[in-house]
Amino acid sequence: MGKLNLPKLSRGNKVRTGVLVLALMLPFLPFVTDYILHIVIIVYLYMLLALGLNIVPGFNGLLDLGYVGFYGIGAYTSGLLTVHFGLSYWLIIPLAFINGAIWGILLGAPTLRLTGDYFAIVTFGFSELVVLFLTNEIWLTRGPLGLPGIEPVSLDLSLFGGPKWEFVGELPYYYLAIVMVAVTVFVMHRIQDSRLGRAWFAIRDDEVAAVSCGISLLTYKVIAFAISAAFGAVGGSFFARWVTFLSPDMFKFWESFLILCMIVLGGMGNIWGVMIGAVVLVSLSEVLRELLPLLGMPVEVRFLAFGLIMVLMMRYRPAGILPIPAVAAQMKAGRVKRKRVRVAVGMKE
Amino acid sequence: MKPILHINKVYKNFGGLEALRNITFKIIPGEIIGLIGPNGAGKTTLFNCVAGIEKPTRGEIIFENRGRAVSIGGKKPEAVTALGIARTFQNIRLFDNLTVLDNVKIGRHCRTRATFFGAVARTRGQQAEEKAILESANRFLEFVGLAGRGEEIASSMPYGDQRRLEIARALATEPQLLMLDEPAAGMNPQESRGLMDLIRRIRDGGITILLIEHDMKVVMGVCERVVVINHGQWLAEGAPHDVQSDPKVIEAYLGTGAANAA
Amino acid sequence: MFLQQLVNGLTIGGIYAMIAVGYTMIYGVIQLINFAHGEIYMLGAFFAFTFISFLGLPFYAAFLLSMACCAVCGMLLDIFAYRPLRQSPRLAALITAIGMSIFLQNLAMVIWGSRPKPFPQGALPAYFEETAVTFSGVSLSWFHLFIFAITLMMMIGLNLIIQKTRWGKAMRAVAQNKTMAALTGINVNRVISYTFALAGSLGGAAGIMVGAYYNSLYPTMGYIAGVKAFAAAVLGGIGSVPGAMLGGVVLGVAEALGAGYLSSLYRDGISYAVMIIVIILIPAGLFGKLIKETKKSM
Repeated sequence: MGKLNLPKLSRGNKVRTGVLVLALMLPFLPFVTDYILHIVIIVYLYMLLALGLNIVPGFNGLLDLGYVGFYGIGAYTSGLLTVHFGLSYWLIIPLAFINGAIWGILLGAPTLRLTGDYFAIVTFGFSELVVLFLTNEIWLTRGPLGLPGIEPVSLDLSLFGGPKWEFVGELPYYYLAIVMVAVTVFVMHRIQDSRLGRAWFAIRDDEVAAVSCGISLLTYKVIAFAISAAFGAVGGSFFARWVTFLSPDMFKFWESFLILCMIVLGGMGNIWGVMIGAVVLVSLSEVLRELLPLLGMPVEVRFLAFGLIMVLMMRYRPAGILPIPAVAAQMKAGRVKRKRVRVAVGMKE
Repeated sequence: MKPILHINKVYKNFGGLEALRNITFKIIPGEIIGLIGPNGAGKTTLFNCVAGIEKPTRGEIIFENRGRAVSIGGKKPEAVTALGIARTFQNIRLFDNLTVLDNVKIGRHCRTRATFFGAVARTRGQQAEEKAILESANRFLEFVGLAGRGEEIASSMPYGDQRRLEIARALATEPQLLMLDEPAAGMNPQESRGLMDLIRRIRDGGITILLIEHDMKVVMGVCERVVVINHGQWLAEGAPHDVQSDPKVIEAYLGTGAANAA
Repeated sequence: MFLQQLVNGLTIGGIYAMIAVGYTMIYGVIQLINFAHGEIYMLGAFFAFTFISFLGLPFYAAFLLSMACCAVCGMLLDIFAYRPLRQSPRLAALITAIGMSIFLQNLAMVIWGSRPKPFPQGALPAYFEETAVTFSGVSLSWFHLFIFAITLMMMIGLNLIIQKTRWGKAMRAVAQNKTMAALTGINVNRVISYTFALAGSLGGAAGIMVGAYYNSLYPTMGYIAGVKAFAAAVLGGIGSVPGAMLGGVVLGVAEALGAGYLSSLYRDGISYAVMIIVIILIPAGLFGKLIKETKKSM
């Protein structure tokens, strides 16, 4: 009888495989309730969103403050398509991806030529406009009343002579979320180690040098933004079919900030760092939510803490818990001085 | 022979400052030509106009490549690189935080095509392209003398090696014309000799070279022709030794007294 | 109706102008959008509220004291949050600014509660309510005149400081070229601190007036006002003080007219839209010169 020839796993991969196995088995562990599964699904959802956002500040070094706009667009599109047309979720996923990408291109093309500050503000304005639109256009979105009755996800195998199986409870969504996160991680890894990823890192490192290698800044920034938006929209589409109820105040700026925190905390640009950031911040958020009333402190302390964490992170560890070398060196205060002394003060390239 | 680059009556103004004035000269394919002049003469500005970072205020720059003449004044830098002109920078602009190998691989960008879909799906075409990129990147590193150092981080390398890396990256874009901006700056004599050897080998590979340089040993040693500019204007042109003894040139560098003394 | 809206617009425009000059001055000296500036504006209102309600100070005293406190807050913000990051990439500073904004907003919620508060009863001089001037169906109360007067005074005062005093010259120097300013003996850090103080006091004054005028204070009032004032600063040309003043007034009028004639639901949206359009089409704004970002400094 031959020996099982398993591929040699590096230590990092062993850890990740272990975590994956644990995740797959989680629902069957004794103390795990639906409530816990619910929280973990939230973690997975934020992982997906954070991975999507990671492309823009992480790979490209641009601050996107309007990510929640794409999340909201994806969610409401998914919700409305379901409520009005009964579209299957499996069709909505690619539609959400494409829709998100289109919005990313629409917003990105005119704005990605701008300097970083302006770009940040414009994305912020965009997401605020999205919320205003969702709130005011009652004929479409039912505004502040919210959009209820979104059908849960279902898997219709009747064409193949199988059953039609509607998602009930947290369990099916749990595994769906794992699959979606896994696919996202897979895609991000592939991009990172490719011509596209290299172009992004080049732009992040030195735009003038990147351009001298034939990389068109605008094209690649728009691609990054579009892909990021696409993942945001896909996350939103999942959210809509999972919580089956949407309202505009679920998509406020705070969400963009929170996801940004996850990326910053975990390590911008680092796929696994970002995921860890999501775990840490969602856990922290839930713990604080339970703990604060017990300590007699108001719930706003939660947000206060996050703001403070961001300020401290930028001060002491701007590249995050698990930084990637490219980002770590770049975020360090005080650039390494060139050997040639710049003769004239204020001389720029 | 048709010139590979024809700079024709180029002017460049920055607001009220006239940085280049009626610059005209030609570069012959296969030659190593030096561009010299005192500090502030406008040499890097001229480079930037050719490379597309600046747009000439007046005049044209014609690039003759593979039988086609293209006017490149005002084109975007990425387009100029794609057409076949590569450059290095006076102050070295490497991708500091990326590996040596990645730096050169990025140089291959304009000659490769894979997109998002190729990256994710790892199609056979994309995989073949990645393999080719890796092989050619290693070849370019070997050519400049940095073989086997692909995994080092660019900013951790010694200065002279960083220069070589920047040249390797520029070569990776497969240029017809390579513009080097003060490549010998900060080099000791031994490194300069190595650089001159490298420049000759590049030219022997079929690439025309335009060189800004202050180190006269390098200019004399490697350039076949020299163009002198001062205050943004063409001053003299010719074989290095002729230019070196031209009183106008001496005056430009050293002042009127020195010219008279020569 | 038009004139009434115009008057409303000019009133709120003056307020936006006061906040906007704060953004623009800070951007001028350290090239950073101080996201937390709106929170200083909000703190101004709350400080005044606290001084009047708990210390029993009269309105004018509370006004001045609150402005002073906001000046200090501005300087503290610089010293503890922004100064350590002076050499850091812009991304880090931007994130810090947002973090401080969120921190301060929620700190205010913790201290003062998140429900809107009315401005203390009887704090304002009684005659503020009375009509001072009437023309063409528009009536201006003394409070309106007070706001106009203060806004105008502060704008003129600011201009005098910037153009005529040594500190003003130093600020302009630092805004143009920090390194050279330092080489000429200017204490750059101190100038930046003073800029924050000046910006903070103006922002605080704006906050008090808005809180009193609308009779409502809430911890998130700085959020929206801040974005709008930033839009105004961009419209006028970021870095240009006269531009910010003009931008504030224009934005205020546009908003009032837009809300009156087009749609009051999208009142805030008008500012966002103006901001996006201006940034995309004329990033330099009406008066400003876009400060080109040096490539490696992002």
